[in-house]
Amino acid sequence: MAADTDARWVPIAVSADILNGTVVPAQMPKGPIAVWRAASGHLYANGDRCPHRGMRLSHGFVRGETLSCIYHGWRFGTDGVCQKIPAHPAVEPPKTINCGPVSVTEVNGVVWGAAASPVDPPVQFAGYNALRSLLISASVEAISSACHGETVEGVITAQLGGQGTILLTNVHGPDEALVIALLPTATSAQDRVKVSTALEALRRTAEGIGDAA
Amino acid sequence: MTTDAVRNAWYPVGLLSGLSVDGEDSLLLGEKITVFGSDDGTPRVESCGHILPVVQRFGHLWTSLGAPDKDLFTIPEADHPDRTLVDVGVVRVKCSPLRAVENFLDVAHFPFVHTDILGAETHPEVRDYKVEIRDEVDEVWATKVEFFQPQAAKSAGGGITTEYMYRVPAPTCSVLYKTCPPRPGEWDVIALFVQPLAEDLCDVWPWMALFDDESSMTDLIHFQQLIFLQDRSILENQIPKKLPLDPAMETPTRADLTSVAYRRWLKRHSYTYGAQLVAE
Amino acid sequence: MILYDYILSPSCYKVRLLASLLGVQLELRAVDFHPGREHKADDLLNLNPAGSIPILVDDDFVLTESAAMLAYLASKYGPDWAADGDPQAIALQHQWLAFSNRLTATLGGARLVEMLNFEGDLEALQSSGVVALRELEAALFARRVSGGTFLVGDAPSIADIACFPYVALAPDGSVSLDPYPSIRLWMRALRALPGFIEMPGIHRLHELAQDPLAEPDS
Repeated sequence: MAADTDARWVPIAVSADILNGTVVPAQMPKGPIAVWRAASGHLYANGDRCPHRGMRLSHGFVRGETLSCIYHGWRFGTDGVCQKIPAHPAVEPPKTINCGPVSVTEVNGVVWGAAASPVDPPVQFAGYNALRSLLISASVEAISSACHGETVEGVITAQLGGQGTILLTNVHGPDEALVIALLPTATSAQDRVKVSTALEALRRTAEGIGDAA
Repeated sequence: MTTDAVRNAWYPVGLLSGLSVDGEDSLLLGEKITVFGSDDGTPRVESCGHILPVVQRFGHLWTSLGAPDKDLFTIPEADHPDRTLVDVGVVRVKCSPLRAVENFLDVAHFPFVHTDILGAETHPEVRDYKVEIRDEVDEVWATKVEFFQPQAAKSAGGGITTEYMYRVPAPTCSVLYKTCPPRPGEWDVIALFVQPLAEDLCDVWPWMALFDDESSMTDLIHFQQLIFLQDRSILENQIPKKLPLDPAMETPTRADLTSVAYRRWLKRHSYTYGAQLVAE
Repeated sequence: MILYDYILSPSCYKVRLLASLLGVQLELRAVDFHPGREHKADDLLNLNPAGSIPILVDDDFVLTESAAMLAYLASKYGPDWAADGDPQAIALQHQWLAFSNRLTATLGGARLVEMLNFEGDLEALQSSGVVALRELEAALFARRVSGGTFLVGDAPSIADIACFPYVALAPDGSVSLDPYPSIRLWMRALRALPGFIEMPGIHRLHELAQDPLAEPDS
């Protein structure tokens, strides 16, 4: 059963939110991860914990094709293996020091992660692209009902801000989910902002904040 | 885990200069305590109606929930009359009290966390130094720790190689001695006294005894607050929160020998409050 | 120009940061805010009866609100940093300066409780801080949709500098910044500006420095 969960793609971020040469935190079912884009534009991810002293690697920094921990500068390659320990410049770190690589892939402008490498690519939505993500303190059911959406396997379809919107969900806990909204690629800038505003309203309703609740 | 060793240790609970006669509520090892100042120099600490033992030392009030089997440690070097004694004040940190001490014992993070002050990325090397558990005093000591520092102290003009000695005289306290720029041959003393509020929450009371005739007291306080607050954002983002005593959980190098000895010493004394014994 | 300053104060940092970005030298006077409470003593109360810092003194001209100091420094040394001419841009800038006071009251309040043991209703401060962060995130997202990076116009302004410190230090008050990608990108753009300086709790972008381990080009 664990293997089944591990080999499942989970939507974790919006591609456009991770610039070249940056690292961001994200959440997988098994815990936090650090997702980073190398200078080349390639995307990588690993456990959000430096094997040295447990510091969160999402607080670190990216140089070229490497990720470094902010605490002691330990430097990891694209395979998650430690390449350099600055305190001991002459020592080649043992290959066993590893920050636990996680598989990532990008489809529709969405970053998906998987603990093991799934055989199939993530579900695709032809003609759609990611708008934005937001964290909602509510269950997927509450989110779906707040937008009168239809939910199939964690994917909600709903009319938001006058647009047919797809909402991908990544459940963080019983009452918390990351929502990534997708819109038709041709949606105008004005309508994109409208949908963003509608997502804020959706969040307030799902969380029971304000008069709408 | 609260063992006898944990209950019988001394802990800092306030600045002598900042105590309130009306009493101030605080926590020690998860238990509620009230710290009272007094007009006649006899501050006291109460817990559930009991009067706890107290010691006044290093500008701070110290107490214990148990029956301490030894006196609070001393820092003889700090008694020199020419030294400026600096009460830095309290900073609360959401981390294990043991992680706070361990960070204080570490020089390898200077280039990345205290960049261009205590370390520079161009000089990250930690050369071999000496670590021992001194059985006669039951303390952890690290000596001959050398590190290149761009601005070692408020009184330092430029980059120098600083020599450090580290000492752990109590489970949640550490004292460091470092080269003193204006007085070659003498050591500046900087201490970190940690009050464990819970296993993942502490009040940290830095304290210093320095040779510095130039800097104002406020400048000295701010320099140390600057340094410690740079550490705070690290300490609050370590996973797990508790200090792992299982060697498989984290990966030490030669630069970490002080922390290896500290962890071993904690284990030997069953000092496990704020520690994680096995991977969870 | 003299700034009465405290190294851990985000409001003092705003003024130091803008001065550094503008290349203006300030003479700093360290105020023993914690633990000494020097800002509540007579000397400083005579200068600022509100008992707050920063205080900016330019000869006999005294300012006691950080937003006013930013406006003063910008109009004196960096006109590009303050909106001018366009009524909407001017109004928006005022709006963000006012918004920054909400950040101080909420995220800043939570920080004082969590870090320096001040009294306060932590949960209320944190949840109103989250409301403010969500507003900022949505506004910055809308800016990105139209190709913008900063709060007002095409370039960084005093609006950004006024809001940046308390946002960046939200984790000091146990308010996570993890859920706000647009805020993260905005903070990164500000941290990458030439002349940017850090304060404790805001680390520098090490990747901007030359990699000391990189092989020199042969």
